[in-house]
Amino acid sequence: MSPQIALHDPIFRAYFWIVLISLAVAGAILGFLRFVLKKETASMFKTYWSWIFIAGIGFIVVFLGRIPTIVGVTFLALYAFKEFARASGLYRDSWMTVAVYAGILTVGIASLISDPRGKEPAPGWYGFFGAVPAFAIALILFIPILRNRARGELQRIALAIIGFVYIGWMFGHLGFMANARNAYGLICYIIFATALTDVAAFTFGKIFGRHPFRSEISPNKTWEGAFGALGVAMILPWLLRFSFPFFGTWQLILTGLIVGIGGQLGDLSISVIKRDIGTKDMAATISGHGGILDRIDSLVYAAPLFMHMAGYYYPLR
Amino acid sequence: MKRWLNGSVRDVDQAPIDRLRRFPREPDILVDGLRSLGALIIRGLLHVYNDFEIIGHENLRTNRSLVIVANHCSHIDTLCLLAALPLRKLHRAFPAAASDYFFQSLPRLWAAAILVNALPFARQARIRQTLLLCRELLANPGTILIIFPEGTRSTTGEVGEFKSGIGAVVAGRDVAVVPSFIDGSFKAWPKGKRFPRPGKVRLIVGTARNYRDRGTDKTDMCAITAELRDAVNQLRPVNGSD
Repeated sequence: MSPQIALHDPIFRAYFWIVLISLAVAGAILGFLRFVLKKETASMFKTYWSWIFIAGIGFIVVFLGRIPTIVGVTFLALYAFKEFARASGLYRDSWMTVAVYAGILTVGIASLISDPRGKEPAPGWYGFFGAVPAFAIALILFIPILRNRARGELQRIALAIIGFVYIGWMFGHLGFMANARNAYGLICYIIFATALTDVAAFTFGKIFGRHPFRSEISPNKTWEGAFGALGVAMILPWLLRFSFPFFGTWQLILTGLIVGIGGQLGDLSISVIKRDIGTKDMAATISGHGGILDRIDSLVYAAPLFMHMAGYYYPLR
Repeated sequence: MKRWLNGSVRDVDQAPIDRLRRFPREPDILVDGLRSLGALIIRGLLHVYNDFEIIGHENLRTNRSLVIVANHCSHIDTLCLLAALPLRKLHRAFPAAASDYFFQSLPRLWAAAILVNALPFARQARIRQTLLLCRELLANPGTILIIFPEGTRSTTGEVGEFKSGIGAVVAGRDVAVVPSFIDGSFKAWPKGKRFPRPGKVRLIVGTARNYRDRGTDKTDMCAITAELRDAVNQLRPVNGSD
């Protein structure tokens, strides 16, 4: 991945046009709702402008190449963890917060450097990338011992571990995918597909939603929205088959399931946490979306599953 | 199991810019880190560029709450007073800054909230609430308030009249009030100039006073204010640079 390669890469160029056209179509639909049907769309427009902003930044970072993508994902993970820590109260314990920051930075470094003992120089140190959670958890457990504290430490340890493993390491897979031979296809597909599935769930729920899906977790989600999103996610791998020309039928089905079910489970997992904490959004970072973590919730869940599925059938590097 | 972490931080639902604007600000590791880094750079620059010197440094050595009162003719004044504090006390030191000037435009807000850790001081309306806030802050041991009682930068380099709000903050309270004089900052960076110029800047810190035995009525407040102005003026070097 580099700017020169991106300019001539048919997959990257295709995604550029697909996202541009999707945003244009979405804008046209929103405009139709607002100016022809005179519907109340102010909040949807706010979300829409932020989508344009997110897409722009995302494309610039992926265009710039492997290192900017990994660094960008690492910063996103750091900030998403910060939102989680602030919402859960872990942030008041600056030792634990800094320990998790260190763990997330290590995930980024493991994705950047290559294996010092590797036979052929391949980007990314996969063995260390897989081992970071062991070291990070060791560090997190060391902190109460270092400070000679026990009261309430189980809660801090648990929050720090879920924060690191889920938001730091699992989301970090998105950055590690930048080392793959087919990086543009994998990264662009997983980001675009989870985003589109999110929008599909919202749209189907808004139009057809009758039956509450998981009322105790997220009262606005409906069965209709969930099935609509799953349907879109199952069709999408065939429509965008050029992203992974080596995938067979079985892999395309798995891709659809990972995005369609995994993405929604990611959304709901963060909702469980938010519901228990008692906040509506993790933060107010992106206008119309809530926090960074509210935006990337499906990606956190789906990206590592997708990477390991693809890596099981076809060597990534 | 009992919960020990009591829920979200207080500003969890606010956008990043609004979090900087609110006061008291919730501690933020990134902001604290940037502030410490900025303080190191500012200290270095002050020493190299303005040959910065502190006289009476020992008068600031206390772990109790402190109000530092000084003359004001330049933005450098705040930086000088902050540079006189140890780094670990930086995040508990709040220079009062005009909310109508420092908390409106973004660059000034960043400078005020991140670098300086400023307390938004309402100059026009709601002065009473701001003074009350100052008193509440001082109740926490280890708080340092930096106040320029003139309320604005002097355009002549002379010490102007003090506003009586300073009397209201310290009257009848057991807090140390430290008068100090900043010499040379008017020449180095007067009001209206875009960039500072090199030139000797000196900070003279006086001995601490205490007004716990004084009443809180208007005459006492005005008397304390006048006394503090005299104390600041007396610290002016005899053959100072201005």
